[in-house]
Amino acid sequence: MKVVGARIPRYDGVAHVTGRTAYVDDVRIPGTLWAKALRSPHHHAGITKLDTTKAEAMPGVHAVITWEDVPLLEYGHLSALGIPADEPLLAKDEVRYLGQPIALVAAETEQLAAAAVDAIEVAFEERPALFDLRQAFDSDAPKIHQWGNWYTHFEGEMDRRQIRKGDIDWAFENADTIVQGVYRPAAIEHAPIETQVCQVVPEPSGRLTIYSCTQALYFSLGVVAAHLQQPLNRFKLVGGTTGGGFGGKVDTATETMTCLLVLKANRPVKWRWTREEEFLCSSTRAPWHMELATAVTKDGWILGQKMLTLHDSGAYSRFSPYGLTKHSFHHTGAYSIPNLSFDGYVVYTNRVPTTAMRGFGVTSVSFAVETHMSRVAKELGLDPIEIRLKNANRIGDTSPNGVAYTDPSTVATLQAIADAIGHELPADYRTMTNEPRAGDLLPEHLVAQVGSTEGH
Amino acid sequence: MAKHTGRGIAAIEYPTGMNQNGDPSQCWIKVKPDGRVDVFAGTADIGNGSKTIQSQIVAETIGVPYDWITYDNSNTDSSPVCTGTFASRATFVAGKAAEKAALQVKQKILEIAGKEMEIDPADLEIVDGEVLAKGAPQTKLSVADVAAAATWGHGELITGTGAQLKPYAAIIDPETGEVDLPPHSAISYAACSAEVEVDDETGEVRVTRLQQCYDVGRALNPSSVEGQIEGGAMMGLGLSVLENCYPYYPSVEHRGGSFGSYLAPGMEDMPQLDTIMIENPSADGPYGAKGIGEMANNPQPPAIAAAVYDAVGVWVTELPITPERVLRALEANAEPRREGKKVVFDEELSVNSVSSGGIRFEVPA
Repeated sequence: MKVVGARIPRYDGVAHVTGRTAYVDDVRIPGTLWAKALRSPHHHAGITKLDTTKAEAMPGVHAVITWEDVPLLEYGHLSALGIPADEPLLAKDEVRYLGQPIALVAAETEQLAAAAVDAIEVAFEERPALFDLRQAFDSDAPKIHQWGNWYTHFEGEMDRRQIRKGDIDWAFENADTIVQGVYRPAAIEHAPIETQVCQVVPEPSGRLTIYSCTQALYFSLGVVAAHLQQPLNRFKLVGGTTGGGFGGKVDTATETMTCLLVLKANRPVKWRWTREEEFLCSSTRAPWHMELATAVTKDGWILGQKMLTLHDSGAYSRFSPYGLTKHSFHHTGAYSIPNLSFDGYVVYTNRVPTTAMRGFGVTSVSFAVETHMSRVAKELGLDPIEIRLKNANRIGDTSPNGVAYTDPSTVATLQAIADAIGHELPADYRTMTNEPRAGDLLPEHLVAQVGSTEGH
Repeated sequence: MAKHTGRGIAAIEYPTGMNQNGDPSQCWIKVKPDGRVDVFAGTADIGNGSKTIQSQIVAETIGVPYDWITYDNSNTDSSPVCTGTFASRATFVAGKAAEKAALQVKQKILEIAGKEMEIDPADLEIVDGEVLAKGAPQTKLSVADVAAAATWGHGELITGTGAQLKPYAAIIDPETGEVDLPPHSAISYAACSAEVEVDDETGEVRVTRLQQCYDVGRALNPSSVEGQIEGGAMMGLGLSVLENCYPYYPSVEHRGGSFGSYLAPGMEDMPQLDTIMIENPSADGPYGAKGIGEMANNPQPPAIAAAVYDAVGVWVTELPITPERVLRALEANAEPRREGKKVVFDEELSVNSVSSGGIRFEVPA
């Protein structure tokens, strides 16, 4: 083989570093109007008045859209998977986060569009906001959605994602030590160099060409077509080159609303978010709240783990139920833990909705499980690499969902790191492989608990 | 007042492809009359290098030079479905679709070459843009001549299509979370050692070295894999000690609305990076590849948190580990509550302390 495995320079690398790559903002279409959004100035409020008459009457303003202009107002990011939609494309009677779009204007210039946004008459009735997800379940908590403060549609009707494996009570009864800890990674901005941006052009054929910075052309095509209740070939999505995404540009944040402005104005429209909008109004990586209790023996065998996860979804669900499910599937990290009890909730707060970001759902659990593992090692006075090797998942061990690992590399990667840092491992650990456990590394009381021992 | 050094370890795993699968990618390929190859796919290149990787897969699979490939992911009229560039799926899932399409193209080239050369296609192979008789490589015909013959002589278009879709893995028991199929395309693994220097006067944490080992399945392009691993390390460093949309979370006050008020890592934060790649091929990825793009920012935060403990003896379990948090932790010097066989850390952060009873975390004794 010559091409696969070769250090071939990046296909578009020279164009990127010489500034010749054309991104969406580089597209120049004569006659383009500029879009600006009216956004919520409150974290949580009822909309008591919304009148766009004055803005529409301004010279140079060609279109104003509100929720009334959207054929299908609510279409969820996960609707294609049968998960109910809960987020309106434009706010109707309530805003649930600061910066939520309420109306859009298309005008001859960006300045004029901004002035027209200011001319929209809107009034609010402020409501109490909820920011601490740990208080979302309390009876006196501000209520974010009519059905409550957490997602209730796992597998159709469950209000949490649940994992149960083995006998968790046995694990805690037989443990020598139980270590508990709380882990809270932060919300992170994707911070792409290219802010959310979109250019839509009405074609003579009646089709719309959408220049998009999406990370997922067909996903975004589906979202636009669903909101507008049109067949897929009404639109041509042009993209494929994204100026930084990291998960945030799966959101299809601009395309649908820009199409609606184009349909109303019958002119090309561009919507380019400012840096401040990108930071304050675009979705973030979710903050997570994770509580772990681990039942261990004094020589470092993990017998069981109990976990509670609260996923701060912000004001709407977006991809959070998917992210929490993925999180639950990986909540034992790189280890085989025979007895498990996991409960996870997607919790709403009055902050900008959170979304996918690099490592979605698992970055959080890697932080929690691995920091906890270091704590357990310290608490038991054990070597941090040996305790990991001891509990590492092996061929035939099963995941939290009961799926057998076929070829795990936890042992090999840890041995390589031990070697790299000059950490001498005892012979048992140095020669360990991912084959099923046997001998001294399978204590009597764990024979029935850990992995497969067939043939050993 | 002094600077203290410490080291921490982490080991992680991460799935390739969407959780529970069900995420198709497709590809189609056509060959021009001079043998040059046009690839059409819907995979956005977000800097992950998927244009390069898929072009490499196609070149390798057909047996033509890399620079014969053009790759077009520019629009939804000419490109078929790709669910998207996320879930570490572009190399494995979309790459597999490209490999399948390229296999069809290769077969078509061999069929037409067989007619031209009057040799059974099964006895032909393609090497570096030439169709060779197996065992008699002096008997050959260039792929360019085959493509010309297809176009002008046989009246055929050399084309191929490929689609990759792993079936949806359903949760068959919502109580236990048990699934009916493996819910991923592959699993990748990594381990990391982090070294830090912590100033106990200012609270500042400097990450000085990250040594990382990844099982990448197969490095289809080692430079690209290293780019993911090193770039991911810097993002992981940002998560660990710098970045936060809500500096006083859960409060929404003091949000930064610009790069000037949001601490993303810069060149001055870059530690020494040592990357080790292990190639443990996946069972059914293209050429054994696994997806490692996303996991690349996962091992650093726990390794760095443990290194900070190793340096100054405090656990900071709210990220990022800012100077303020380090100093407050040093000042509090909190010990876990010990009761029977329980060792309870971070009680002040628990729902049991903050909720007025709506939710509890109960741990059996």
